[in-house]
Amino acid sequence: MTQDAPSDLRYVRYDSARENEYVAAMRQLISKDLSEPYSIYVYRYFLYQWGDLCFLAMDDKDEMVGVVVSKLEPHRGGPLRGYIAMLAVREEYRGRGIATKLVRMAIDAMTERNADEIVLETEITNTAAMKLYERLGFLRSKRLHRYYLNGNSAYRLVLYLREGVGSIRTSFDPYGLPPPPPMDQSYQTPTATQGNGS
Amino acid sequence: MLPNNEVRVPPPRAVAQSAVPRDITAEFTEAASKLRTGQLVKDEMFTLFEAVGALEIMDSKMDSGYIAPGENLAQALEHDYDVRRDLTPEELVGLMDQLLCHEMAWHMGHPLSQTLFTSIYIDKLLWPVPRTMEDARFDRVPSENPLVGLVLRTYCLALVKACDFVHARVASEYFYEEEDFVTQLYNRNLLSAFDSSHFYRLLDQAVNWVESQEGIDKKLRDAIRSRLQLRWEFLAAVDQDLEILDTGSTDSFESCLAHLKPVTESVALGKAVPEAFSLKLQRKLASTVPPRPIVHIKQEDALAHMKRLCQDAIDMQQMLGYSSPSNFKTAVWTLLSRKPQPSVYIRSLLQALIVNGMTILGAVSVRQFLYDDLAELVLPSSILLRANTDEVELPSDPRFRIAQIMEGFVKRFAQPFVDTVRSACLNRCRVRRTICHTAVDWDNLQMEAEELDLQLQNLSAEPALQFQGGEATFSYPLSSWAYHQKLIQLRLILQMGFELSIYAPEELPGIYWYLSHICSTHLSHLDRIRTFTVAARKRDLVSSGHEESSAQRSPAYHRSFLYLERLTTHIIAIDAFAIALHALYVLLARHQILPSAGGPGAYSSDKLRYELRMKPFIPISLPELVPYEEYHREATLEGDTDATILDRASKAITEARKAWEATLANGAFIEDVSSPAKEPSIAIEEDWRRDIKDMMRACIGASIAIETVKKALLGDKPPSEENPLNLQVVIPEIGSKTQWHDWWIVPQISEKKAANPTTS
Repeated sequence: MTQDAPSDLRYVRYDSARENEYVAAMRQLISKDLSEPYSIYVYRYFLYQWGDLCFLAMDDKDEMVGVVVSKLEPHRGGPLRGYIAMLAVREEYRGRGIATKLVRMAIDAMTERNADEIVLETEITNTAAMKLYERLGFLRSKRLHRYYLNGNSAYRLVLYLREGVGSIRTSFDPYGLPPPPPMDQSYQTPTATQGNGS
Repeated sequence: MLPNNEVRVPPPRAVAQSAVPRDITAEFTEAASKLRTGQLVKDEMFTLFEAVGALEIMDSKMDSGYIAPGENLAQALEHDYDVRRDLTPEELVGLMDQLLCHEMAWHMGHPLSQTLFTSIYIDKLLWPVPRTMEDARFDRVPSENPLVGLVLRTYCLALVKACDFVHARVASEYFYEEEDFVTQLYNRNLLSAFDSSHFYRLLDQAVNWVESQEGIDKKLRDAIRSRLQLRWEFLAAVDQDLEILDTGSTDSFESCLAHLKPVTESVALGKAVPEAFSLKLQRKLASTVPPRPIVHIKQEDALAHMKRLCQDAIDMQQMLGYSSPSNFKTAVWTLLSRKPQPSVYIRSLLQALIVNGMTILGAVSVRQFLYDDLAELVLPSSILLRANTDEVELPSDPRFRIAQIMEGFVKRFAQPFVDTVRSACLNRCRVRRTICHTAVDWDNLQMEAEELDLQLQNLSAEPALQFQGGEATFSYPLSSWAYHQKLIQLRLILQMGFELSIYAPEELPGIYWYLSHICSTHLSHLDRIRTFTVAARKRDLVSSGHEESSAQRSPAYHRSFLYLERLTTHIIAIDAFAIALHALYVLLARHQILPSAGGPGAYSSDKLRYELRMKPFIPISLPELVPYEEYHREATLEGDTDATILDRASKAITEARKAWEATLANGAFIEDVSSPAKEPSIAIEEDWRRDIKDMMRACIGASIAIETVKKALLGDKPPSEENPLNLQVVIPEIGSKTQWHDWWIVPQISEKKAANPTTS
């Protein structure tokens, strides 16, 4: 995994002018690993706002063999948080460091834009992904119970890029832990949402 | 990867504005005509939540109404299973077992739409919504075969009714939707309007009928009967499940276990009827979710889940006798730490039993619970807990003021305190996350308690204590108590991190150092508490002219001292073990044989990773987060030689073994000598003992590891630049056999085989 990516590969930034061709290819690449595909709106949500944080690996026939999709925005009024939403490499191209290279490109692009931290989630059974991110310096900050639709749990992986991020205050966390119901009555169901919350 | 479930994504902020509907067809058509095909317009308010929740019509993976080319509507929507068809006894048994699998899969957290609601029989019972019990049947013209019309129908009805009770129990407690459980009923009703007596009557009828069927092979007859009986008992168990507080009886769950045995043994007799389940039913359910596959769990997993549920429910009964807060907390924590964790139904039931209507275990007021805990830890016999505005009505009397202040204390602290117990009922991931939040709350609570302490120490005229050469100090009982709660939480944050497997190998030296740091802080705090209790006891003996009252108070002091001693022993055990592992890991890291998750070209730095890891500790004002430089010095044992560190490890592990033995000998619970002997809490106590013994095993494993390193370091051929330490280190996975206890990561160290470097 550590050797340099073979030279027959090109790494490019997403280009919205080639949307039709790129989006179709990346959807195909990403959907392969998912029990339930993301809708087209999920891709558009990321690419329209943060297309410059999306990187592609193309082979010598100009076919897409790897992709990383990310976003960067302030987290609840606090740190500028980068989020790696999707990462996929075509099966026969795995083990060549392509994913690592793509993730590095995304991290570097986000660092250039003053990101304070980068976070992502990964399925706990996906040891390859975990190893990749941990090698890059990410730590598991918490475990998320039954996070994905298939019932698998996830780890939240986090990378701090500058000092003091841990102390940056965020606004009230609307997605965090709901307050427990009062003791004297109990017909109240907490909503389980935590998305990118802490 | 981004979650593919919108529930996991932050929902959009609710924007309060009232919309006035108007017809925009013309504007819309006009605007749309200016767009190219495929061109996108993004609304400012279109969030990730909506993007993830969006469906694409005409995509078979997302559109539950999609009809494939060549498929006609009837084929796509309708199944052709005849619910009136005859069933063989084998098929009946097979169906009952398939339904049980779906029921348990739902208990495990899968939605009804992928489990029970894929059953055509269940669908027919529940839709259209039955108005009477009569209505709840498979077809308007019922099957004449009693195996179908009586036995299977009864089985299904009793199953649905049991689901109704389970649903109500979970939904009324604190749980996480889709994480622990899916409450969605898709506009169906689980027969909640019908009294359970109907179901028992039908079950009795069905059992009687089956028993009289000489024509059916005896083995099959017994198999069918035991399944009906299991349904009877399970329904009885979940019906009125809070009554255990009054009756203390676990008979129904015990009968379930008894019937589960023949059910398990006769599974092989059944013949599955897969065509009685259909994914097409999902299209009829009121839901926007895409079609999702039927969940198939193994029969043995379903039976094991139910068996565990019943066993947990039975053992739960053993914690219902309240004797003291510490015993109660130990019992709750031990039961909930079982592996696998008790099911969401059990965890919900436990919550209801722990606190219901401001009462703990249906017996003790929340106030009493709080006072008992204060008495046990810091105020064994104090005016603060005795003052009562009912007895002292003169507002100028200090006791009146004391009572008032304590009243305010109870109001503020009762809920967070009960929550420290109750939060153990969450799933393990949430337990840790919740503690990360509550530790901050307790930091604030401690400061509030300190304010109250200052007022109280004036009112109660508490004499100051003079420590050697120090200033006069006071006991600060309430804030001391709060600090103790917080220190427990800070320790749990670290320890549960091991259990949830979140630390990288290279973090282990530092985390064990921090654990011992928290423990030693805690130990000094307990010492301080003890000093003040000793002083109070002395004052009591000296100043009190009334011999009697002093003697009366003696048991309370005795109990408190005993409690402090037990706590101290337990924390010394943790502390010593942490010190030993810290030292061991420092050596492994120093000699570069500790595996590392981070690679050479990693982003970030040790300092940033420390900040990230310690994030829950940053907002805590006491104890303050150790600054990185100091942490780094301490955690790497900078300046200490290998020999010194080895010595430290050996001494600490010996002390740890002794302290764990002492902890084991102290037992799980403090026995109350004054009250008549109660039935021992066998199962929970056994769990607790096993847990301590596992820690002791981990201790032994650590001693061996330390010895191995010692031999390699101080042996004939000490390591050098050219000749590095010839050891290999494996960090065992959580849950693996070589990992004796979830909270103690003991490295497996062996000599590197010279010729064969295949393992790394």
